[in-house]
Amino acid sequence: MRSKRFEALDARPVNQDGFVTEWAEVGLIAMESPNDPKPSIRIEGGRVVELDGKALKDFDMLDTFIAEYGINLDRAEEVCRMDSTELAKMLVDVNVPRSHLIELSTAMTPAKITEVVGRMSVLEMMMAVSKMRSRQSPANQCHVTNVRDNPVQIAADAAEAAMRGFAEMETTVGIVRYAPFNALSLLVGAQVGRPGILTQCAVEEATELQIGMRGLTAYAETVSVYGTEQVFMDGDDTPWSKAFLASCYASRGLKMRFTSGTGSEVQMGSAEGKSMLYLEARCLYVTKGAGSQGSQNGSVSCVGVPAGVPGGIRAILAENLIAMMLDLECASSNDQTFTHSDLRRVARSLMQFVPGTDYICSGYSSMPNYDNMFAGSNWDAEDFDDWTTIQRDLKVDGGLQPVLEEDVVRVRNKAARAIQAAFKGLGLPEITDAEVEAATYAHGSHDMPDRNVVDDLKAAQEMMNRNVTGVDVVKALAENGFEDVARSVFNVVRQRVAGDYLHTASMLDSDFNVISAVNQPNDYVGPQTGYQISDERWEQLKFHRRAVSAESI
Amino acid sequence: MESEELIRTIMAEVMANLDKDAVTFAKKEPTTQQARQQSPQAAAAPSATVTKEQYPLGEHVAHRIKTPTGKSLAECTFEGVMSGQIKAEDMRISPETLEMQAQVADSVGRTTLATNFRRASELIAVPDDKLLATYDALRPYRSTKKELYDLADELEREYKCSVNAAFIREAADVYEARGRLRGD
Amino acid sequence: MSTTIDEATLKSIIAEVMRELQPDVQPKASTPTAKQDPPQGGRISFEEKGEAQRGTDPTEVVIALAPGFSTQQFETITGLPHGDVIKEVCAGIEEEGLTYRFIRVLRTSDVGFIAHDAAKLSGSGIGIGIQSKGTTVIHQRDLPPLSNLELFSQAPLIDLETFRAIGKNAAKYAQGESPQPVPVRNDQMARPKYQAIAALLHIKETQLVQQGAKARELKVQAVRS
Repeated sequence: MRSKRFEALDARPVNQDGFVTEWAEVGLIAMESPNDPKPSIRIEGGRVVELDGKALKDFDMLDTFIAEYGINLDRAEEVCRMDSTELAKMLVDVNVPRSHLIELSTAMTPAKITEVVGRMSVLEMMMAVSKMRSRQSPANQCHVTNVRDNPVQIAADAAEAAMRGFAEMETTVGIVRYAPFNALSLLVGAQVGRPGILTQCAVEEATELQIGMRGLTAYAETVSVYGTEQVFMDGDDTPWSKAFLASCYASRGLKMRFTSGTGSEVQMGSAEGKSMLYLEARCLYVTKGAGSQGSQNGSVSCVGVPAGVPGGIRAILAENLIAMMLDLECASSNDQTFTHSDLRRVARSLMQFVPGTDYICSGYSSMPNYDNMFAGSNWDAEDFDDWTTIQRDLKVDGGLQPVLEEDVVRVRNKAARAIQAAFKGLGLPEITDAEVEAATYAHGSHDMPDRNVVDDLKAAQEMMNRNVTGVDVVKALAENGFEDVARSVFNVVRQRVAGDYLHTASMLDSDFNVISAVNQPNDYVGPQTGYQISDERWEQLKFHRRAVSAESI
Repeated sequence: MESEELIRTIMAEVMANLDKDAVTFAKKEPTTQQARQQSPQAAAAPSATVTKEQYPLGEHVAHRIKTPTGKSLAECTFEGVMSGQIKAEDMRISPETLEMQAQVADSVGRTTLATNFRRASELIAVPDDKLLATYDALRPYRSTKKELYDLADELEREYKCSVNAAFIREAADVYEARGRLRGD
Repeated sequence: MSTTIDEATLKSIIAEVMRELQPDVQPKASTPTAKQDPPQGGRISFEEKGEAQRGTDPTEVVIALAPGFSTQQFETITGLPHGDVIKEVCAGIEEEGLTYRFIRVLRTSDVGFIAHDAAKLSGSGIGIGIQSKGTTVIHQRDLPPLSNLELFSQAPLIDLETFRAIGKNAAKYAQGESPQPVPVRNDQMARPKYQAIAALLHIKETQLVQQGAKARELKVQAVRS
C-alpha cells in the first residue's frame, strides 16, 4: 500500500523534473570533481610552461590559448600561491574594493578561480556579485520570438517589452530562413517601445554576423565557446576562430558577447571527467583571452543538466561570479526553463535578482512560453506581474517596471503599424490591417492569423540577396509615415560609427547615451554605496495597478 | 610637409616612451602578452591618446571621429540618410576610431579587449565576403596549414593585416599540432 | 556582396525552370528502385557493407544513424522503438516516390554533423541524421554543418507522425521543392523533464565515437520476432 503523503508529493510539479545522480568519471558533477586539476602555474622566459598541473607539451588547444591570452601573467604566480580561502574572504569583504580584487582575480588560473569560488556559500557569492558585476546599475534582457516566426507579433511584443524595461532583446527563429524578417521586426518594434534598445538575432555564427553587418541587429550573443577541445570542435569552432569572429564584429562596429555555460560539455558527451564549473571557467578564460567584452553564462540552454545534479544551481551562480571576476560583462542567464516547480524557478533566479547583474535574465520570455523558440524561459509574459511585485516586495530593481494596459495596447498597435509600413517600403509581402489588429491585442501566436510562409521565406532570402540594410529600413519607415521610429533606428545604426557601445556592459538610454562599465563602473563598497534606487525609480517600482488606496475607497 | 614632420616627431617620442616602459618592465622578462600590447599600431596613433576620461568618445571627442569614407560623425545625420548623402557604407567605424577605443580599454585595464579592437581595426578594410571566408577557413578541419599561411600572407599583403596574419599563422601551427587541419 | 546566390538557391531555381520547360523531367517521375525491403518497425538488424560511398542517384535521400542507434540504445528518449522511427522516415520518403539509403556515422555523435555527412554522401544532396535519443536534422550538402534545412532539436517532442513528415519533407527538398517545414512542436517543459537524462543517453552514445572513422554503408532489416 502507498503512503498518501508520498502520493501527494509525487504529484507535485517538482517531481516532474528529471534528476540524476552524480557520475564524476564522465563529468556529470556540478563542482569539485575528483578529476579537477589542482591550481598551478609556472612561467619561464615570459611563457607559461605549466598550467593547472599540465606541462606545456601536454597542453590542448584551450590550454594553449588560455596560457597565451587568458591570464594576466604579471601576478599569476603570486596569486596562485595565495590562500584560496583568504581570496574568498576578500570577495565577500566590503572593505576590499572591486578594483583591487580584479587585479588578483584576472591573474588566477582556471583551477584557482574555481577553487576560490568553491570556498563560498551562495549567500557569500551573492555578496560578491553585488560588488564584482561590472556596471553599476543592473538591467534586463528578453527573448522575442514566436512559434510561427510571425513578424507582426515580434514587432508588437518587442514594443511592449521595451516599455516594460528590457534594455536588450534577442530573437531567434523556428525556421532558419526567417532570420532576416525576425531581425527586422525586432529592430523596428523595439524602437517603437523605447528608443535605444539594442537587438540581436541568434542564429548560426556566420549568418548572425552577416545580419549584423547589414545593420539589422546591433549586437550578437550566440558566439558559443566550450570548455573541452572536443566539444569546441563539435561546436565547429576553435578559440582562434572565435577570437577572430569577435574582431569581425568589432570591425563592423557591433557589440558582441560570448556565450557558454555549465553542463554543455557533459551534455555533448565530452567532459573529460571534469566538473561542470571547472570547464565553464575554461570557457570564460577563452572569452576573456579572445577579447570579448562579456559573456552570457549561467548554464543557459544546458540548465537542465546542472539542475539535475546536486549543487547545480549553486554552480550556476558561481559561474556568473567567475565571469564578473574576469572583468567581463555578465548576462546571467535565468532564461531557459529548468523546472516544473514555481518554487524552484524563483529560488534559482533570486541568486542574480537580489544582487543584480549586468543583465539579470539573458532572455526573459516576453511572450507566453509556448511561443518561446529558445525552448522556453524561466520567466515568461504571464509572470510580468510576479516579477514587478517581487521587486516591490523586496525593494530590488530587477530592471522592469509596471505598465498600464492602455499604454501597452497603444505601443503594440504602433509597432504593428510601423512594421507594416517597413514591409511596404521594402517591398516585402503585405502585412494586412487584420494582422495589425490581431497583434495589437494578442497574447501569443494562437491569437494571430496565418501568413503565407513560403512567400515570406522567399522574400526573406531575396531581402538578403538584394542587400537590404539598416539604412534602407530607416528610409522605408520615414517614407511611410513613421519618421520618429526611423530616427530611432537611425540612431541605433549610428552607434557603430563611434563604437562606444563596444565596451564592457554597455546599454543605451532613451536619448542614445551609452552607459557602460567605463563611464558607470560598479563602485559598491557596502551599505549606501553602488547602485541605489532613486526616489523617482522607487515611485515607478512601487506602483501596483491592483493596489487599493485609501483615496479610492 | 609640416604634418609629416609632426608625425615623425610624435613617432620618435612614442618610440622613446616605449623604450622607457621596457626598462621599467626589465626586472622581469616581458611576457608575450606585454609584447603584444605594445603593438606598432598603438605607437602609430595619429594624435594624442585618449583614456576613459574622454569616454564616450562620440560625446566628448566627436570631432575626432570619422567614418572610413572620410565623413565626420556630425555629418552622419538622419537628414543625411534621407537626402542620400549618407549611405550604408558610411555608417561604419574607422580604424582610427577603433584604435581610440582600444586606448580607452587599455586605460581601464582591459588589455585583451584592446587587443581585440586592434585586430578589428585592421579588419575594417577587409570586405564582408572575405571576412566571412576567413572566419570559415579558421574553423576546424576547413583548411590545410598552407592554405592558412597563404591566407595570412594575402591579408597582410592586400589589407595590411599584420596582427591578424600573425594570429592566423599561430592558429595554423596549433591546428597542426592538434590534428585539426583539413584531412586530419 | 550584392548579388551572390548560394549554390542551393541556384539549384532550386534551375530545377524550377526545368520543370516549367519540360514537366516530365521531374525526378519524381522516376520509379523507386527499391534497393531493400522497407524496415517493418520494432527491432531492427544491420548488415554493414563497407565504407559508405557518395551516391549519384538524384532521387535518393541518405539516412545517417548515430553510433549507438539500435546497437547500444534501441528506443528514443520517449520510448519509440528505433525500428518504428526508421519505418516512418522511410515511408515518408517513399510517399514522394524517392529512394533511401542508410549509413552509419561513427566519427561523431553530433546530430548536425551526422546529418551533414549524410547530405554530403547523398546523390540528391539531402540527408537526414538521427541520434539514438531521437534528435533529428534534415541537411543539405552545401550548407555549413551547423546550419540546416530543418532541425528537430527536442527529441521528446518528435512522435512517429513527425518522423514520417520529416522523411516526406526531405524527399521534397531532394526534388528541389521548398516545402512547408514540418511544424515544430514546442514544449518548454521537455527540458526540465528530459535534459539531464538526455545527457546521460548522449554520453553513452558518444562513448562509441571513433575519431576519424569513415561512415559505413548499412543494410537495415527488420527483426521479425
